[in-house]
Order: sequence, then structure tokens, then C-alpha cells
Amino acid sequence: MLEDSRLENAVQWAARRGASYADARYVERESETVSIKDGQVEGIDRDSDRGVGVRVLYQGSWGFAASDRLTGEAVLVPLFEQAIARAEAAATVQRRRVVLAPAEPQRGEYRTPVRRDPFAVPLRERVDLLRAADAILSTPHARLRRASVASYRTRKRLLTSEGTDVRQEITECGAGLNLTASMAGAKPATRSDMRNVRQAGWEYVEEFDVLAHARTFARDVEEILRAKPAVERPTTLLIDQPFLALLVHESCGHPTESDRVLEHEVAFAGTTFMWPPDRGILRYGSPFVNMTADATVPGGMGTFGWDDDGVPATRTPLVERGIFTGYLSSRETAGALGIERSGGCARAEGWQHFPIVRMVNVSLEPGDQTYGALLAGIQDGLLLESPASYSLDDKRQNFHFSTQVARVIRNGEVGEYVRGVAFQSLTPDFWGSCDGVADDWELHGFVSCAKGEPLQLMRVGHGAAHARFRDRPIEVRA
Amino acid sequence: MLGPDALLAPLQRALAASGLAEADLWVHRRRAAITRYSHSSIHQNAVSDETSVHARAIIGSAVGATSGNSLDPAALRDLLERAAALARLQTPNLDWPGLAAAATYRAPIAFEEATAALEPALQARAIGRVCDAVAAAGFRAAGTHSVDVTEDAVANTNGVAAYAPATVAYLRALVLGDHGGSGYADDLSHRASELDPAGIASRAIEKCALDRDRLQLTPGDYEAVFEEDAVAEILRIMSITGLSGQSVRDGRSFLSDAVGTTVTGSRFTLHDDALHPGQLAIPFDPEGTAKRRVSLVEGGVARGPVYDRWSAKSAGTESTGHAADPRRYGHGGHAGNLVMAGGTATREELIGSVTRGVLITRFHYTNTPDPKRATMTGTTRDGTFLIEDGKIVRALANVRYTMSALDLFAGIDLLGPQRLVRDWWSTNGMGSIVCLAPAMKVSRATITGSSPA
Repeated sequence: MLEDSRLENAVQWAARRGASYADARYVERESETVSIKDGQVEGIDRDSDRGVGVRVLYQGSWGFAASDRLTGEAVLVPLFEQAIARAEAAATVQRRRVVLAPAEPQRGEYRTPVRRDPFAVPLRERVDLLRAADAILSTPHARLRRASVASYRTRKRLLTSEGTDVRQEITECGAGLNLTASMAGAKPATRSDMRNVRQAGWEYVEEFDVLAHARTFARDVEEILRAKPAVERPTTLLIDQPFLALLVHESCGHPTESDRVLEHEVAFAGTTFMWPPDRGILRYGSPFVNMTADATVPGGMGTFGWDDDGVPATRTPLVERGIFTGYLSSRETAGALGIERSGGCARAEGWQHFPIVRMVNVSLEPGDQTYGALLAGIQDGLLLESPASYSLDDKRQNFHFSTQVARVIRNGEVGEYVRGVAFQSLTPDFWGSCDGVADDWELHGFVSCAKGEPLQLMRVGHGAAHARFRDRPIEVRA
Repeated sequence: MLGPDALLAPLQRALAASGLAEADLWVHRRRAAITRYSHSSIHQNAVSDETSVHARAIIGSAVGATSGNSLDPAALRDLLERAAALARLQTPNLDWPGLAAAATYRAPIAFEEATAALEPALQARAIGRVCDAVAAAGFRAAGTHSVDVTEDAVANTNGVAAYAPATVAYLRALVLGDHGGSGYADDLSHRASELDPAGIASRAIEKCALDRDRLQLTPGDYEAVFEEDAVAEILRIMSITGLSGQSVRDGRSFLSDAVGTTVTGSRFTLHDDALHPGQLAIPFDPEGTAKRRVSLVEGGVARGPVYDRWSAKSAGTESTGHAADPRRYGHGGHAGNLVMAGGTATREELIGSVTRGVLITRFHYTNTPDPKRATMTGTTRDGTFLIEDGKIVRALANVRYTMSALDLFAGIDLLGPQRLVRDWWSTNGMGSIVCLAPAMKVSRATITGSSPA
């Protein structure tokens, strides 16, 4: 199916049948996860699936059908017939026709650069690594320990009635650690990070240094158990990259999705507070805040050759010197909003889903100060590391985050741990309080950004550097 | 649809041919037909046929697991062989509880042929009725009409042979006005004919019309009326933080060391009951264990969690048939068919009993900053109103609510009748909890912030 002519023949059939646009997307996915819980191998799981999704624009409406019952052209044409039937039904409740922004036909291949195939790493090596991490996580008060490594590979081919024919092979891998400790008289303390993933080979896991992270987690939970509650007050926050990666995701990535502007997601995921007339005007943050969507970042979980509209990967500024300037877009949403070209953000989780606007690598751009300089500028504040609970409103304007780790900063020095820290804010107010971004930019990856109906879990990437926020009220739930 | 024979026979043949002494296969097939609309126009209309096959092979208590999406004999054979190969690479798992024993199951009741065969034109027609009514009121509509048809089958080397079909029909409408207001309503059933487009439109239009000139509420404690969708959100937080055997074992649950003690108010009673005729469920879990009704909290007294085979073994008890979908959750049990005891109070009586308080329609993107207390934080949406002297007096900007579910339920004053609902997360599949939940009036709900008006 990746190589033969059946997809092309079926797409041509749909065009002859009257579709103004048609595409077929064949996808094969495989993954392998090894996990250890409390010292025992909890599971070695191998998953795979494959199937085809076909999409038509017919009478100005979309229709989509997908199946994993692949027995050749005999399945593909009936799939297109189902898609056309759904488009016909959609056209009966239509107040505006879909118009696609122009795109040049594409041909080519994209493949993740991989130095060591993660699927070829001996299982013994993977299990030994996790056992070594588990031994480090076995702190005096450890109650629940988990360590895992995962490998993913996706192969897909997209063919469109406009002449696009592109093939992609994307390889990803990563490691996760989770440690919960408890002690009489104290609430449990948890350190968890399941977001250490990259589009790369096993070399990423080696560079990531799982054992060093395990040592940090082991130290943190024991300190947190003994920590005193923080003091509720407005204070200066210095926030680390993993925490900001999620904050950027939730408070910039989602509200700049242009399908939210069109209210495609309003009944479930919500809308936005960043509307088209606000572009170039709305002050989203302080002048230190620059954010981009960039599907070309090497190693990013949102990196690819072409999106599922067949639009080449590109870079789009979203926030420039604190001013909102751009959207994440697809050919459909660009066409509807009068954006000249698609931002290349049409993505589907697998063969079984309709492509919708998704993040790619949405990042806080680095500043020009060192981490040390940011720290030195804090007389009294808190260093926050890694998010815990988080909750957002339907416009991505009102959020609440709690932290896994909070440490006191006094006179430019990081001191003791405190516990129970959370904060809530309005998005422009929060980013408006940023008075410095460090130059220690690093990339993080999420494997399961949830959006759409039915649910689609998407890989996305986020770069961030330490950043400093002044006069932030905190709440303490110790 | 394949039906029981066509679905179970290849599983049983593959298990017999594998030569494995201990192995099982779980198959979940789904045909998802979903029609989404916004600005009173359908913008997405999709159908997808998916098969998910999960194999486990156990060699001397070491477990290997694989999954695929084909029922072809060669594919099933390959899945089991690869699972066995993975098991052989492992050391024995001392926690392995063994496979489920052969059992008989109740007949599935959440399935209707007519719903399984629903045409796309009928889904579009239901949406058209919502959109026409909303347009006549001067507003615009967005939402979803979905029909899921599923078939589940489990077979294992102990002779388990379980099969159940199910249908889930869902229609929701979010009504929006140019004045910035919004209103929401939905219906959920295993029968598409029980979805009421006119009723949904009417309920959502009424709220949207009221939602104008919003006031920002000062944070503090208020009396409150939670509608059924909002109650489902609180119940979800209880489920994911505290109702599984694993969470109790780990000391993370409000039930840990509390069974038999009073944990909340006496008006709060909660069961997990997949066999309830009003629920959406099948009668067995992915391990092949028959589902049982489990008393979780009764009259405010903690009764205990649900168990899968793993957590039951560690607790020295039997599985209650609550193994979770392995694609979504780990071992430990999952309470996904919650039934909260209701009452007889009408909506007017609930609102009428409030001196000064808040009406909450539903929540958005909730989470738990304090799992041990089942504390939830989240913002309201699509219908938040100020009640004074028993009447809705004006619209409120969305508020952030943060409070322990146990403290909230301790303040129940009145309960309405149950309705079949899902929390926000479960409406698109991020969660998998279905609730029979009542609306309720509580004496105290903690509001910790407000969105802009």
C-alpha cells in the first residue's frame, strides 16, 4: 500500500466521481514500551496498526472514511463512496462552503535521522537501564516507582487529487520516570516526567541520562516530604523549561489554533481570546516574550516533512516582542480566515482520523540572559520545576497550575524546598509579568496532546528556557 | 458487525493453535460515525472502522503483551507468538494474578440494531433541527452528533468466551450569541431515537439568552446548584483519584484506611454498576471477568474500591470485573459506570432553595491539585448564573471552582432525579466514565477566581 498504485487509482476515482478535492492517507504505526514497576518488569508491550483514511471535498463539504480492513482497491473505492455519502449529508446543513488555501503539489520523502534504531536496542539493555534507574528511585520513603522506555515508528504516504505524493518515516523514542514517596504526617510527594521524548533514535535516551534524572527525583521527593509549606504571597517566580513547555503548550499553543477561531472546537475544546482583529495589536506578554510554531526544529516531536494536507513544514511567528501576530493553520482554516498560505498544521493522529489543526513545535524563544543572571536578580522568590496539576478555561485565558518542586530563592541563591505551591492567572497578565528569558533553551516533547472528536492524541514539541515572572500571587495547598 | 460466532471463533482457534498454556485475547471493534457542526454548518463528517486486538501470553508468570488491528488467522498467530517471545525474555512477575476463569455473563443491554444502522443523513437531519431552532432564536449552534457501534470479545485458555455489542448515541449543542453568551445541553443514550434535538436546542437557547451582562463573582464560599454534567465532573475526579484498588493500595485514595468510616455527608451514596439498566456498559471487563455492582460510598460511609485481577490479588480479594481498557489505563481497576443516588427535587426546587449562590451547568478541563482529598479545580462554562432568593438574577463570568469532592458532597441539601451524563473529558474519549447522576443543591461550594466578564 505504501508503494503501489491502488491509492492513486482510488483518488482518481473519487475525482472522477465529482470530488473537487480527494486524498488518501495510508499509515502504519508500531511502538514498543518496556516498563518496570517497583523493581519488576511490569510489561513489554508491542503495538502496531495500519489502515487508510480517505477525504473528499464534495458539494463544498468534507466527507471522511477510514478502515483497517485492507484488501485492495475493492476496499478503497467503497471507502471513498462512504466519504462522499457523508459529504453529501454534510452539505444538507451548510451555511458556508469549504475553500482551501492554495498549495503547490509536493513529491518526496522525509525520514527522521536516526543514529541507533531504538527497536534494535536489545531488550536486555533496555531492562538493565530501567533496573538501574529503579534502584536509584528506591529511596527510604518510596511508595511507588516506575520507569519506562518507549519507541515509536510511523510510516505514511499521502496522495492527493492535486498531484501530491509524499512518503514519511518518523521515528521517536524516550524515557519516563515516576516516583511517589510517602511518610507519616506528610502528604505524598511525587516526581514524574513522562515527556522526555524526541524524534530521534536511541541516541536521545543515551544523551538524556536516565540515571541522572533518577538521582534528581530521588533527592527531590525525600526533601519535599520534609519541606514546610510555602508562604502565600505575591512573589517572583523563576520557572524551569519542562514547566514552561507545558505552559506554552496550554496558554499559547492552544489559543493560536485557528480552528478555535472558526468555532470548530467550541463545543468541546473551546475557543480563544486571540481573535483575527487582535493580530498585531493584542499585548499577549511583555517584550521579552517571543513564541513560534516551527515544524522544522531538528528532533522535535512536531517535526515532519509535510503535514496531512501535504503542506511543507514551515516556521510561523505567533507572538513577537509580546504582541500576538500569528496562528496555527491548515489549508481549510487559512482559506476561511483569509490567510494567504497554510501554516502547515493539518495533522491526524493516525489513519483513522480526520486531519485538524494541531500544534507542531510551539516554543518560547530563548532570551539573551544567562540562567545565573536571572537568578541573581531575585531577592525573594521561588524556583518552580516541572508542573503537577493544571487546568485551563475554554478560552485559554484563565489557568491554574501547581508544581512538583518549589525551592526558595533568597538573594540570588536557591535554598530549601517548600511545598504546596500553585498559582492561577489570566494568560496576558502572566506573560506580561515576564521580565527575562534565559538563553538555556531546550526542547521537550509530548506524545499525547488531546483534541478533536473523536479524541486524537498528537505528538507535539515545545522549546523553552528558564524565565522570570514578577509579582505573581501564589496559593498554598499543603 | 461480525457477531459472537464470527468474532470469538478465530480467537479460540488462535489460542488452541498457539500451544500456550496461559494466554488470552481481547478484541474491541468500533465503528465511529461522527458529525460535527459549528456556525450552524456541518464542518466534519467522518466514519471510521477500527479493530483493536490485544494478546497476552504468560510463561511461568512472566507476561508478554502485544496488540494489533487484524483478525486474520496469521495476524492472531503472530500476535500470540510475539507475546510469548516477550514473556520468555522476562523474569517471573510475582504479582501476576492468573487468567480469569470461565464464567457466564448477563446479556448485554446497551445495544440497539436501529442505532447501529443509523444513516449519515439522519445524523445530519438531527443537527439540522438544532440549527434551525437556534437560528430562529437569533443565535448560532455548534456541537456533535456521534454514534459508536462496538463489539467486545474476550477468549482465554481457561475457556472464557465473552462477547457483547453496544451502541452509544450522543448529541450536544452549544448555542452562542453575538452578545458573547453561550448555553449548553446534551443527550446520551444507547438509542439514537432517544436523542431529542428540539429539547436540546430549547435548553441551550434558554441559557444562551440568559447569559448576557456577566458579573464577575468575588471568590468565596457560596451555595450552589450543580447540574448533572457538573456533578459528573466531580465524580470523575473521585474515580480517577480514589475508587480503584490500586489507588487504595498506594495510599493515594480517600478510601485508604477509611473503609467503614464516614468520609462525607449522609446524603451521598455512590455505586459502580455496569449492570444498571440505565447505564451504558457491557457485562464483562477486558480480562473476561463478569462485572459486579460495587458499593463505593453509602450514606457518606466509605465501603471500598473496585478491583481488577491485579489489584484484587494484592488486596487478598476477588476481582469485581473492573479491569480497565489497557490502551488507556494501567493495572489496578477503573470505576467507569458510576451511579450516584438521586432524589426527587425539580430544577425549580433546587434553584428555589438557594438564598444567594451559583448555578453551574458544566466544567472545562478540570484537574486535581490534591488527589488524596479528591480535590478538583476547574472553570465553569456555558451557563453560570447568580441565584438570589430562589431565582436566577443574572449571568456570571465563568468562575474557577476548587474544592474537595468530600467537602462538597458533605453539603448536599437536595438531589434531583438521575440523568445519563458524561464528564467533559469523557465526551470525546479522553476519559471513559459514564454517570447516572442527579443535579444537586449544596450549602457550600468554594469559588477561587473568575474569568473576565
